[in-house]
Amino acid sequence: MNGTAQIPSWLGVATSLVLVIIAALVSWREGLGLTRELVVVAVRAFVQLVAVGALLGVVFTYGGLPAAFGWLTGMVLIGGQVAGRRAKGLPASRRTATIAIAAGAAATMGVLLVLRIIDSVPTVVIPVGGMVVSGTMVATGITLRRVRDEAQRSRPQVEARLALGATGSAAFAPYKREAVRTALAPAIDSTKVVGLIALPGAMTGLILAGTDPLEAIRYQIVVMYMLLAAPALAGAVATRLAGRDLFDEAQRLRPVSVPT
Amino acid sequence: MLRNGPSQRSPNAFELDDVVLVRGGRRILDRVTAQLPRGAATAVVGPSGSGKTTLLRLLNRFEDPDEGVVRFDGADARDLDVLQLRCRVGLLAQRPVMLAATVADEVRVGAPDLAEARVAQLLSRAGLPGFSPDRETADLSGGEMQRLALARALALDPDVLLLDEPTSALDADAAAAVDEVIISLVEAGLTAVVVSHDLHRLLDVTTHTIVLESGRVVEQGPPAEVRYLHSQRGGSR
Repeated sequence: MNGTAQIPSWLGVATSLVLVIIAALVSWREGLGLTRELVVVAVRAFVQLVAVGALLGVVFTYGGLPAAFGWLTGMVLIGGQVAGRRAKGLPASRRTATIAIAAGAAATMGVLLVLRIIDSVPTVVIPVGGMVVSGTMVATGITLRRVRDEAQRSRPQVEARLALGATGSAAFAPYKREAVRTALAPAIDSTKVVGLIALPGAMTGLILAGTDPLEAIRYQIVVMYMLLAAPALAGAVATRLAGRDLFDEAQRLRPVSVPT
Repeated sequence: MLRNGPSQRSPNAFELDDVVLVRGGRRILDRVTAQLPRGAATAVVGPSGSGKTTLLRLLNRFEDPDEGVVRFDGADARDLDVLQLRCRVGLLAQRPVMLAATVADEVRVGAPDLAEARVAQLLSRAGLPGFSPDRETADLSGGEMQRLALARALALDPDVLLLDEPTSALDADAAAAVDEVIISLVEAGLTAVVVSHDLHRLLDVTTHTIVLESGRVVEQGPPAEVRYLHSQRGGSR
């Protein structure tokens, strides 16, 4: 394709190891104690990406849409574990996170596909879905962590409301709102400065692949909008479920432990 | 007596029957049997860690017993609608927690539709007569907050008030003011359960005392007959 940048050869990739060596040298000279970790993450990233690249190749060539959705499901399950772990100590946090991410991703991807905003082909569904899932995962993790911290910190306030005959859901409502607001802040901030501070991922990829910038931004706009919807939905679902699991059938706030 | 309907009211607001409560492998309450009379103040006393607050939390179902039964008005508390139970059994915590920005909104937390006149009446009943409903709760003193929390609980028109060391976090003057309000409420017929390690002024309105030690009832009866109180007050009462 005309204007397509040259993709680094394997030799080029190997040469870029110089950059890892620079980071390792800085760590060693400054006594940061991160040298080993830097090398390990560099190797790990290499292995992960090679594996993913190979697998994606197979999925694109032979798997079709069912495999693409299977891939997304896998991402949702992993994302649920990661986000749930951020809120360790909250009852059923991993299950809640998984359901919230699934809901946010499914609704957003559903709108994009049903309204034919994006193509229903694996080469589109997987990368776009991946962005949705990862944005949703981060927001869900932040939301649930905030819910957990509020449940611990605000126990006297919550119990004061419960003692006045409030349901658990009503007693926790003020903290739910705050949790979702916190979760949405990063998405709103990055939407505000999009294109000003850094060129966002989808746009960067398209430009590298030779697409005209004015076309590339159309994709990016859709991506930004979906990255507002998915975390909002996931945050709302996560707080609703987590808020429910925080209380038992007698409308008592369950014990919540924040690991130190 | 198995279960009394509200029509044939038992003389007791609460009855605890052989109650055991275990938390973290420890028996917080150990075979507690006690009666808490209606229309009077019951004091729950004993050293710290003896299970006083836990006993109080059983009465509005912030806890449920692992064994035994807690009865409210003759009925197993677990069979009652928990939200209604909590409207009928108010709780005043040790440290007042403010939930709204202004005094009027604070009184209305549990009863949002209260008319202004009723808010003023409740404030007066809680020992804050003439208090401006527009004042910000953040500006109040500890004693004022505790009386406001009392007005907030009274807004639901409860039959029983649970008081968990209501004055222990207050200075002497503020504590006296809160105690006076509690005394006037009990004298007006409210059932009160007071957890305290020092009864002070409330002794005069207390008709029944339960002494806990390591989760067990070691004494129970009218304050004048309870040795624990004698020893605490150097035998002066």
